[in-house]
Amino acid sequence: MGTAEGVDLRVEIAGIPLKNPFLACSGTFGNGREMSELVDLEALGGLMTKAVTLEPCAGNPPPRLWETRWGMLNSIGLENKGLERFLSEDLPWLSGFDLPVWVNVAGFSVREYVEVASAVSRSGLAAAVELNISCPNVERGGAHFSRHPGETAGLVARVREVVDIPLFVKLPPLTVGMGEMARAVAEAGADGLSLVNTIPAMAVDVERACPRLGNVTGGLSGPALHPVAVHAVWEASGSVDLPVIGMGGVWSCSDAVELFMAGAGAVAVGTLNLVEPRAVPRLVEELRGFMSANGYLTVTEMVGLLRRKGWR
Amino acid sequence: MPPLLFKTTLLERRDYGCASELVFRVPPGFQPHPGQFLHILCDGEGRLLRRPFSVFGHNGRSASVLVREVGGGSAWLRRRMPGDELDVLGPLGRGFDLDGEEEEALLIAGGAGVAPLVYLGQRLRERGVRATLFWGMESGKEYGTLPERLGEEIDLRLATTDGSRGKRGTVLDLLPCGSSGAGFRYYACGPRPMLLSLASRLAPGGLSSLQVSVEERMACGLGACRGCAVPVADPPGAYRAACREGPVFGGEELDWERLRVST
Ligand SMILES: Cc1cc2nc3c(=O)[nH]c(=O)nc-3n(C[C@H](O)[C@H](O)[C@H](O)COP(=O)(O)OP(=O)(O)OC[C@H]3O[C@@H](n4cnc5c(N)ncnc54)[C@H](O)[C@@H]3O)c2cc1C
Ligand SMILES: Cc1cc2nc3c(=O)[nH]c(=O)nc-3n(C[C@H](O)[C@H](O)[C@H](O)COP(=O)(O)O)c2cc1C
Ligand code: FES
Repeated sequence: MGTAEGVDLRVEIAGIPLKNPFLACSGTFGNGREMSELVDLEALGGLMTKAVTLEPCAGNPPPRLWETRWGMLNSIGLENKGLERFLSEDLPWLSGFDLPVWVNVAGFSVREYVEVASAVSRSGLAAAVELNISCPNVERGGAHFSRHPGETAGLVARVREVVDIPLFVKLPPLTVGMGEMARAVAEAGADGLSLVNTIPAMAVDVERACPRLGNVTGGLSGPALHPVAVHAVWEASGSVDLPVIGMGGVWSCSDAVELFMAGAGAVAVGTLNLVEPRAVPRLVEELRGFMSANGYLTVTEMVGLLRRKGWR
Repeated sequence: MPPLLFKTTLLERRDYGCASELVFRVPPGFQPHPGQFLHILCDGEGRLLRRPFSVFGHNGRSASVLVREVGGGSAWLRRRMPGDELDVLGPLGRGFDLDGEEEEALLIAGGAGVAPLVYLGQRLRERGVRATLFWGMESGKEYGTLPERLGEEIDLRLATTDGSRGKRGTVLDLLPCGSSGAGFRYYACGPRPMLLSLASRLAPGGLSSLQVSVEERMACGLGACRGCAVPVADPPGAYRAACREGPVFGGEELDWERLRVST
């Protein structure tokens, strides 16, 4: 790696130090355990857990997956063991690794979001809370908030009161207006943004004349989503002065660099983990090579580079 | 064994009508249990996800899968030539339970569902369990000469929908009359409607002697994404991941009513 040795991959986001700028997206890495048979968890910059809800959640009826060209639809529907078992089984296990953990919090009411976020913060084992207000697969609490900046701000403010660790809000790509939403969330006290969640999407089996997904609709992820994510990061980072974690169809090192240059301070890999469990360690090495080939010594030099070069 | 992620070389491809057997090298320590599957990358045309295929054979340093062509991924895989590289993740999932009191095993296959049962049959025979393979297909030529080959190693009974070979009808028409559970263990893999009919034939008493391998669409294959949900009876309303807690489930574990609805 001779020439790449001078490259520094460390970043700091909302005050959280990361050894490299690649996290694993919520829902695509389980809570680490399943993947740990194949990947060294400490090779990740950070891990975003599967959504945690107050009560256990069975999730949506199958089929929950459908592959499209360069994309994938899912309608998992927040299947998880619930807060209590997450706090007793998963979070303590994860905290045994040198790995900052963002706990993805979801709910079906404001009270549930507040209760879960507060317990996660009090556990002392999480680096940050990632508020998932953008899951396309549950009506109330999911897509609902993302259409109403005022209500979203109200939710963020309530959660802010009970959380002592950095609070990230995860937004969908297609919201009323990314700038307006980002400002509402920032004013309500968020410390960072996660951009983006999946896009609401649907596919039809024309032979049987029925939807491909048991839940009828789902969310689109993967490379098809990538340019949408770059745009969302660009819009949000131009509207607010909050750190952004960019995600959506990162499949290669240059996909990640696009997000950095558009304004993301770190990136998260999602669907790719499902295909290539060791994707993050590979991307880390590719980024090292890219930076040394292009004369970047730190990741920060690339973050927001387009605006610094005068693009508006 | 924990799953391995490896690139390997295709050693041999044997074509059998609508399907091909792919034989490839496996790394040291690769020890699949019957019913486990391999998650194989099928490149190209914007295809992202791996495709799951049951272990069809395993012999020390090589293993094989039987790939039936149903769409782009399986078609791509079937066109691989000896010497080509394959990207494989596995073995994955929970396989068949080989223990049981009954001395005689009935292996019930529909179409490409024969793959895991052939490997299972080998392992059962090694343990001195008498195994008969019942295999249903559309027509006698569908799988080329595979029936002849399998017939050399296992007691094989065939049924075809068009009656061109073996008994006319479905694989269930082949089962010994009155076989509603007692005295036999049942291992089954095939299309959902076949599994549903078999379960209703065995229910309620015989479900405890039934094990089925369930096919569901998969992404990670590791239990991480919860995409491959299969409805189970206990607790009511719950799902299990086919890729990790399955693909083999006991007849009593599944919620057959919800399976029927989602089919
Ligand atoms: C545990 C497991 C073991 C399997 N073992 C074998 C095997 O040994 N031999 C074999 O030929 N096939 C097996 N299958 C089915 C095989 O995975 C699918 O046929 C394959 O993924 C289809 O990919 P494709 O790109 O060719 O088709 P696609 O274009 O993706 O789909 C074509 C059709 O196949 C259906 N399909 C897609 N994925 C699956 C899936 N995972 N399970 C069931 N149906 C699916 C689609 O709904 C569609 O109707 C197994 C499936 C599972 C879950
Ligand atoms: C199978 C699956 C499950 C997901 N579950 C969650 C979730 O629980 N919470 C959440 O905020 N986002 C969830 N997401 C969205 C991802 O975290 C990510 O925002 C999105 O998939 C875009 O990134 P990608 O294209 O790299 O996958 C899920 C995505 C997938 C594919
Ligand atoms: S395919 Fe991801 S959990 Fe089964």
